[in-house]
Amino acid sequence: MTAQNPDQLRSARFRMEREPSWKRLELLVARADKGGIKGLSYDEARDLATTYRQAMNSLSVARDISLDLALVTYLEQLCSRAYLVVYAPQESISGLVTRLLTTGIPRAVRRSALPLLIGFIAMFLGAVAGYLLYFQDPSWYFTFVDPGLADGRTPAASAEYLRSTLYGNEGTPHDALGAFASYLFSHNTQIAILVFALGIFLSVPSFLLTFYNGLMVGAFFATFAEKGLAYDLFAWLSIHGVTELSAICLACAGGARLGLALLLPGQMTRRDALREHGRDAVKLMVLAGMMLIVAAVIEGFLRQTVQSPEARLIIGWGVGAVWLSWLLLAGRERSGAVR
Amino acid sequence: MTTAPAPYRDVVPKRRVESLLPPEGVPIAFNIASIGARLGAQIMDVLITYFSVLVVAFGLFWLAVLPLTATFSLIIILFFLVRIPYYILAELVWNGRTLGKRIARIRVISANGRRLTPHQITARNLMKEVEFFTPGMMLLVVDELGWGLGLITTIWVLIVLITPFANRRRQRLGDLVAGTLVVENPKTVLLGDLVAKVLAKDARFEFMAVQLDVYGRYELQTLESILRDPAKGPAGAVELARVTDAIIRKIAYLPKVAPNDRMDFLMAFYRAQREHLENRRLFGDRREDKFHKTGDAPVAARKKRWWRRR
Repeated sequence: MTAQNPDQLRSARFRMEREPSWKRLELLVARADKGGIKGLSYDEARDLATTYRQAMNSLSVARDISLDLALVTYLEQLCSRAYLVVYAPQESISGLVTRLLTTGIPRAVRRSALPLLIGFIAMFLGAVAGYLLYFQDPSWYFTFVDPGLADGRTPAASAEYLRSTLYGNEGTPHDALGAFASYLFSHNTQIAILVFALGIFLSVPSFLLTFYNGLMVGAFFATFAEKGLAYDLFAWLSIHGVTELSAICLACAGGARLGLALLLPGQMTRRDALREHGRDAVKLMVLAGMMLIVAAVIEGFLRQTVQSPEARLIIGWGVGAVWLSWLLLAGRERSGAVR
Repeated sequence: MTTAPAPYRDVVPKRRVESLLPPEGVPIAFNIASIGARLGAQIMDVLITYFSVLVVAFGLFWLAVLPLTATFSLIIILFFLVRIPYYILAELVWNGRTLGKRIARIRVISANGRRLTPHQITARNLMKEVEFFTPGMMLLVVDELGWGLGLITTIWVLIVLITPFANRRRQRLGDLVAGTLVVENPKTVLLGDLVAKVLAKDARFEFMAVQLDVYGRYELQTLESILRDPAKGPAGAVELARVTDAIIRKIAYLPKVAPNDRMDFLMAFYRAQREHLENRRLFGDRREDKFHKTGDAPVAARKKRWWRRR
């Protein structure tokens, strides 16, 4: 540190006096940037906070008194770097996930009764309509079900063939079922995301898409029911479908939440309403994503190994009951204090 | 209290800058990341994630520890995980930076000056799926879609692509929904103080107050940038002579300056001018440029209105 020189400019003296503190901050910021703020010791963390405030203060003063462009630029850059370190997200991933699972998602679901109703009704109405339409005219099947998804399971197929697709395992020629299951998963993910995203257009497209998905399920069910395989198909669908179809309904509910925010914003502006309802909508979508993954795991590992319809039913609806009890029971406050 | 950076012409031409107000109440500025850097980061991310999934997939098939169905499902789930969840987790753990963004030296920040919340990160990345991945996949199979759906998808993709160009802060739809910005990572370089080298006043050169009243901040900082980084060789000598002559003429400096003393003269002038302007500043007289005396608008403002001044 050079001695105070009375002949020196005021702004130069200002800089000389504070430079060590800035350098210290720069060092701490560089370390925190590399190893995270957890890598700092107690003293260093404390210094980071003080030197950050000092640097902010210096910047504020320098802008007023100093015409040294290099100095002001340096301070601006240093302060923005330090700002990013000081205001980094502090939550740990595990803490975040725990909070999401214990309170965030269940509460968001319980707050969304109306959108959920919309989602499930869309799917249910679709399924009923698909089922009834099929019995009126089986050619509806080809309108609803994508040939890529149908994989030969058309109204013309024999009962034996249909049965084999339900109870096939790796020994049978229908080994491609694994690939089919995976295809269905990515297909359903796309559907769920579309259903969610389109909700922003006043929920109408989400409703229609979910309804269409229901039509597919209904027609598919009718094909098997016609051949007397209703119970077997129900079991086959249940093992993963309880989770998977619910996930699509949830995505639809998330979309409906966005649409309702635009349609009925209440006292808020539409933009604010969208932002506010977006918080719950995103949680519903995260839940839908989790359920889709679980459904895919069940599909990949259990469906072909569990062959008896009873076991399939128990697993499918058991998992459904677990979801339901989690969403209904978790995250409730005993004292009745809300949020 | 401080004021935000002056809205005048800057010596170092700045890129798109966004000023944030952190809780400390001192505005700080970030350079908005260019579209090219963001695209590069995105491509890098896609390459990194998909390549690693392919490596894992290859390993699973090669080891063949799982039944085929389960292997397929696992790989599909991995492909799902490297889409939204990867971006969300990476931006959470690395404070707004994915691997690609790290390479491109850009990052996500919250536009309101507060910390980046998990909700913001989730929202902007969910929207990424809606904006790019899903329509992109749909466009790949466009001939199966039929023209109606194909047209809608194309229009949607066009809207998505135009949005970042249509707003000043280069936000895509997801950024708008989540209230985030993508900015360049700030770098810190502290250059030495020019006047710190000149400890004492150079007695050879004397300037009168009238002479120092000519210029303002803009000219001073232009001179600073010349002095910090003088051109080398003969071109540098010519530039130095030109600058010196211009200043001498403008401020009516009478004594002769020898060619060898030009650098010293400019240093002395810089020091005197800076001291003078900084003193004036303390009295509330902020002189932005050489037009401060006539009361004329600063350069930048005048340039904007050139078409009116017929």
